[in-house]
Amino acid sequence: MTQSELDHLIKMANQIAAHCAPGASEAVAAEKAANHIQRFWAASMKRQLIAYFNADGEALSETAQAAILQLNA
Amino acid sequence: MLKYYHPKQVERSEVDFGTPAVEGSMVNLTIDGRSVDVPEGTSVMRAAMMAGVKIPKLCATESVQAFGSCRLCLVKIEGHRGLPSSCTTPATEGLVVQTYNAEIAKIRRNVMELYISDHPLDCLTCPANGDCELQDVAGEVGLREVRFGLDGANHLDAETDDSNPYFAFDASKCIVCSRCVRACEEVQGTFALTIAGRGFESRVSAGQSEPFVASDCVSCGACVQACPTATLIEKSVLDQGQPDHSVLTTCAYCGVGCSFKAELKGNQVVRMVPDKGGAANAGHSCVKGRFAFGYATHRDRVTTPMIRAHIDDPWQPVSWDAAVQFAADRITAIQQHHGPESVGGITSSRCTNEETYLVQKLVRAAFGNNNVDTCARVCHSPTGYGLKATLGESAGTQAFDSVESADLVMVIGANPTDAHPVFASRLKRRLRAGAELIVADPRRIDLVSGPHIKALHHLKLLPGTNVALINALAHTIIDEELQDQAFIDDRCDQPAFARWRDFIMASRNSPESLSSAIGVSAEVLRAAARRYASAKNAAIYYGLGVTEHSQGSTMVMGIANLAMLTGNLGREGVGVNPLRGQNNVQGACDMGSFPHELPGYRHVSDDKVRLSFETAWGVKIGAEPGLRIPNMLDAAISGTYKGLYCQGEDIAQSDPNTRHVESALKNLDCLIVQDIFLNETAKFAHVFLPGASFLEKDGTFTNAERRISRVRKVMPPLSGKADWEATMALSTALGYPMQYQHPAEIMAEIAALTPTFSGVSYDKLEAVGSIQWPCNAEAPTGTPTMHVNEFVRGKGHFEPTEFIATEEKVTRRFPFLLTTGRILSQYNVGAQTRRTANIAWHDRDWLEIHPQDAEDMGVVQGDFVLVTSRAGETVLTAELTDRVQPGVVYTTFHHPESGANVVTTDNSDWATNCPEYKVTAVHLKKVVAGSAWQTEHQHFSEQQRRLLAPAKTRNSHETV
Ligand code: SF4
Ligand code: SF4
Ligand code: SF4
Ligand code: FES
Repeated sequence: MTQSELDHLIKMANQIAAHCAPGASEAVAAEKAANHIQRFWAASMKRQLIAYFNADGEALSETAQAAILQLNA
Repeated sequence: MLKYYHPKQVERSEVDFGTPAVEGSMVNLTIDGRSVDVPEGTSVMRAAMMAGVKIPKLCATESVQAFGSCRLCLVKIEGHRGLPSSCTTPATEGLVVQTYNAEIAKIRRNVMELYISDHPLDCLTCPANGDCELQDVAGEVGLREVRFGLDGANHLDAETDDSNPYFAFDASKCIVCSRCVRACEEVQGTFALTIAGRGFESRVSAGQSEPFVASDCVSCGACVQACPTATLIEKSVLDQGQPDHSVLTTCAYCGVGCSFKAELKGNQVVRMVPDKGGAANAGHSCVKGRFAFGYATHRDRVTTPMIRAHIDDPWQPVSWDAAVQFAADRITAIQQHHGPESVGGITSSRCTNEETYLVQKLVRAAFGNNNVDTCARVCHSPTGYGLKATLGESAGTQAFDSVESADLVMVIGANPTDAHPVFASRLKRRLRAGAELIVADPRRIDLVSGPHIKALHHLKLLPGTNVALINALAHTIIDEELQDQAFIDDRCDQPAFARWRDFIMASRNSPESLSSAIGVSAEVLRAAARRYASAKNAAIYYGLGVTEHSQGSTMVMGIANLAMLTGNLGREGVGVNPLRGQNNVQGACDMGSFPHELPGYRHVSDDKVRLSFETAWGVKIGAEPGLRIPNMLDAAISGTYKGLYCQGEDIAQSDPNTRHVESALKNLDCLIVQDIFLNETAKFAHVFLPGASFLEKDGTFTNAERRISRVRKVMPPLSGKADWEATMALSTALGYPMQYQHPAEIMAEIAALTPTFSGVSYDKLEAVGSIQWPCNAEAPTGTPTMHVNEFVRGKGHFEPTEFIATEEKVTRRFPFLLTTGRILSQYNVGAQTRRTANIAWHDRDWLEIHPQDAEDMGVVQGDFVLVTSRAGETVLTAELTDRVQPGVVYTTFHHPESGANVVTTDNSDWATNCPEYKVTAVHLKKVVAGSAWQTEHQHFSEQQRRLLAPAKTRNSHETV
């Protein structure tokens, strides 16, 4: 994976976390974001995001991190 | 051999009833002894035609209101004095009409005699010979002599204006019937023509006596079609003579989906005539559909399959079998090496439903993964997402006809007069009849003010603030208690509405709080909201200015919220209407082109749906979504995605951040491009499969109002295979045989597997012309208006739409906002329209810039300007105009060498990855030469042309 691909994945995950349940509680937002990623991302993308989260995860927003914990890929 | 729907032969002489149909209660009248019932107010002329009696006429024709100037159509009405003209006399109860007697006959002959005395008598060599109403009427009235010599004052030396590339105006043949003037006003709504002068001096004139091409004329051809003589005539008819047969088909350009008669001589199209019976266009067209078809036989067409090992090698023309085998071997090798997920496909919105369906089937069944996407990714994917989430179906809610019942129309981020011209003509007609208009667009589009049209409000918002705008409007409606509470209570999900209400009533969503971000005053925002909410029927039409943003999906949901809030759904005259860009965007999405959906918008994780396809196709389908186009490109750069089958799309030109796309394409081991030209993407390809134009194949397109219409083959495919046949061959070579004899069989499979299409068949299309889906047991004839008693998802779902600004912001380094769009004469990447005479109107992409900004930079009209963004830089030519606001610049992307997409960034919609074409922060600088990318692009294009040359020469030897 190139850095640019990873950057895109992180950016998209943060964007989804911010947009998909604005104003809702952290738990609800994370659940909705996880659901969105589950339904629209290819398995390889989810795996790469999870790998990054496990290794580092710094660049991910809190909601995005909470969402990734709920992903099963 | 099986016999399938051969091109439908259309009667060339359609019946012209003389005046438009009207609605009203029925009255009975008697015409030449025949009793006939017609709606009150129908002209006596039309009533007579309905009774089977033809009255001679010249100045009347069905597409325009009667004018009553030629006096040929006079009739005798019992109990009335004199001889009134039948085209302007309304039918009333009990009229007794006589259409012919000796007195009438004499007057008609006299009238004709006068006309002919000022008309050249060159019928035998006249281009309209055989298709001239003057000729016909002279015969009908029995004209035998012309007593006034041709030596009196006449117009026989009047000059011909042939400035328009597609039609000529030979003033010497004009009978000043004004049909053209009325067609331009009433049908097209442009008001380019007038009758200048009076009496004998009166003449038709374009604008202020300008040549056509310099006038306001938009070259729609409505006047040419209305002209009864050879005065206004297609140049193709001048060159080739009258066509001798015709085939009914559908325009392959925009999402309006106009129905046309392709009029032919042999296999050659002489002209395209919009079909009066076409439900989407009712006999009208624009310059693209009517005139710009020459690309189909352009010399740049590549008609032989070609292969090459590497993109620096010359192209090698080969047989279909060899090309397909080469492609299949490479794909198989890639999958063995890099795994089953390392390849995928892109379907096209320019191809038919059947072809699109086959490509996604090939990817799912022969490639064995879900890596299929379509160019709708880059235009309307947020529409699919947003409308599904709120209303339950990924499609517009109305038929185009619906606009005729609208009292207020809100156009958001769409430019119908340029991008959806025939719909724009209908809309303008409704606006002239009194409907109100609100335009929300950063740029002053033509609709804002034009002949007899003026928008109530032009909300000139800053690019990127759509969601703020829609929130401010919704906030106002609740704040001022203008919502349709009964509709909300009855039709919408209550807890969701309550949550949304709390969200929208937060003070951050008030017009007062948002006004400075939007750039429109709070009073104007409130006034616009009030008008929208209080109109009896309010309809929203929107385009790519809504979807192509980082919050595109949010905005689509905001629009749906607003319509639900005001009860503007589920009947005629209202609704949420996405105007689709390319002809078959709707169809491509319907056909399961998205990596997460099977045909009919059903998620791949749905076991039951998957099972139905697995059973029919005999393969396993993965439950996980595949890669979308931007994800494919990223993976290609990373080296995990190696093979792509791209049908009918040109992602190297149309997708954002060109350099990124180019490096991805260069990394592929097997790029298969199927297209009619060696497009920008094909320059990176290893296999080229020659495509077929819409004239060379059978199939169906689905327009923006969900209308499925037939495309009919009018000539054999130049390459020997229609696109669906090429896909079948590739699939078979990959070990998954496909054997359809005709696209009708593919549609039968689609109908069998897709509940919303279960009632669609070629037989039914043949019988009824066109069908709007859903079409099934509950709606056997289709569904013009959706969500009538209930939303498709049950209860309408209000979704909170927080305004989260894009990251793409103006800074000191990038102080301007660039936004993009399109213009009337060109289409998408321009591959087709650039290869026609349409180039006369738009030979390059201009950078629109406000005069004030230009002055600050010392830029004058025609200067080169270097446009730099975070992604790249390119040079465009400056066009000074106050259509754009200070701080905002605008361009189109119709020409590859402009490189508009070198500048656009890889920002995208949060939900769908639809690129943010509409907002790019840029820096501008006056320069004298092109950019580095443009020089590289030129070199690369020249190199690729050289590599094509041997193949082209060989090809032409083979075909002679
Ligand atoms: S081509 Fe269309 S716009 Fe031009 S003059 Fe004729 S009707 Fe008017
Ligand atoms: S140009 Fe044709 S339609 Fe127009 S006034 Fe002359 S004859 Fe009639
Ligand atoms: S409006 Fe669209 S579909 Fe109709 S003729 Fe023009 S390009 Fe074709
Ligand atoms: S056709 Fe009625 S006046 Fe000309």
